[in-house]
Amino acid sequence: MKLQFKVNGRSCVVDAPPGESLLDVIRDRLHLTGTKEGCREGECGACTVLLDDKPIDACIFAAHAAAGLEVETIEGLNASGELTPLQQAFVDCGGTQCGFCTPGFIMMLTALLRETPAPDAATVREAIAGNICRCTGYAQIEDAVQKVITK
Amino acid sequence: MTQTTLELRPLDFYSAHSVPEALHYLADRGEETAILAGGTDLMVQLQRREISPQAILHIERINELRYIDQETAAPVLGGLVRHRTLAIHNELSSYSAIRRSAGLVGGWQTQSAGTIGGNICNASPAGDTIPALLIHGAQVRLQSKAHGCREMPLSEFLLGRRSTARRPDELLTQIALEPVPQRSADAYYKVGRRAAMEVAVVGLALRLTLNEGLDTVTDARIALCSAGPAVYRATAAESALCGARLAAEVLKEAGQLLAASAQPIDDVRGTRSYRLKLLPRLLTTVVNQCVEQIRAKSV
Repeated sequence: MKLQFKVNGRSCVVDAPPGESLLDVIRDRLHLTGTKEGCREGECGACTVLLDDKPIDACIFAAHAAAGLEVETIEGLNASGELTPLQQAFVDCGGTQCGFCTPGFIMMLTALLRETPAPDAATVREAIAGNICRCTGYAQIEDAVQKVITK
Repeated sequence: MTQTTLELRPLDFYSAHSVPEALHYLADRGEETAILAGGTDLMVQLQRREISPQAILHIERINELRYIDQETAAPVLGGLVRHRTLAIHNELSSYSAIRRSAGLVGGWQTQSAGTIGGNICNASPAGDTIPALLIHGAQVRLQSKAHGCREMPLSEFLLGRRSTARRPDELLTQIALEPVPQRSADAYYKVGRRAAMEVAVVGLALRLTLNEGLDTVTDARIALCSAGPAVYRATAAESALCGARLAAEVLKEAGQLLAASAQPIDDVRGTRSYRLKLLPRLLTTVVNQCVEQIRAKSV
């Protein structure tokens, strides 16, 4: 079944079965593998993408429900080839270790900072409550956000 | 372990853009159709093969069902209002339990997609918004092509675990709430292991109303999730509080009745015994919070 939508600013048409998740379309049909599969049940946030600017878990989003809408993935943040200030802050603060959860966190935090450029620590923590990191213990991630805000 | 793209049986996907269009589809194929709103529950069930419908009716583009109307004496919500909208909405100030519960359905990602109608119709025993809706006397509206509209109390709509009174040709279109009496406060508390989680260990919603002297309970509504096969009103505990002065013995009795009413299970998030120990303490905490709020408002 034909699906037409925008990904990172470009119009895409794919053929996907009706029940397929947006994550599978992004990774397997569009070959944008920056978005990760962690749990496949909407708990870990590794698959977070922005749909019309709203953060969603792509693993539990029906691809065809995105018809005509705009998806932004981690690849879309770096069209210029440079890291965003948030990504650079993750590097500087040790917010990334294995890196698997990072795209999901970056997309979620990008959505937050677009909506609230200077959130307090509690707001940041609440915003990332749907993202799991097994490596960092989150402190470095929170530091990275603070670093970007104070800049 | 990655699951490859699921080889689902051939499945139809139909996107409706209006209520009549959706009802027309359901009149024809309702028995074999799963209704997709935000999909945060449905997609998990599909991918786990817990359900195998022959068709998916996508209703999330029916924009006319995405409203919060406060013009009448009490608010009415369209079935497609998203949790995130409710969570950050500045209005509905007397319904903080509903806003709070919506902000606790999973994480932000879940709330961006999930809808209140979907939460109700999924009828999970752990559905967070359902206790908050029950304490506000929510009525649901069901529409079908054959029979038009019917309304029923949410408490009667929920039949059991993942079971509702929605007929296959019906769509839940609206939720109506009761006005909040004077000298009332409400709250929703969710106990869990993470700040955001799929399922509560226990969730408790309370609406409390006090007398003019602010020392006696004139009305108490308590609803629990993750404490039985369905979300329910704890009527025995409510009766213990109603008409009673605010005193430790009263809260203790109500707490015992609350625990007695529950049928929690052992599951990955908590044990039955932990949940039973938790309930009376949770009730006391939430009652005290509501009392404080009512007194603060009346100063």
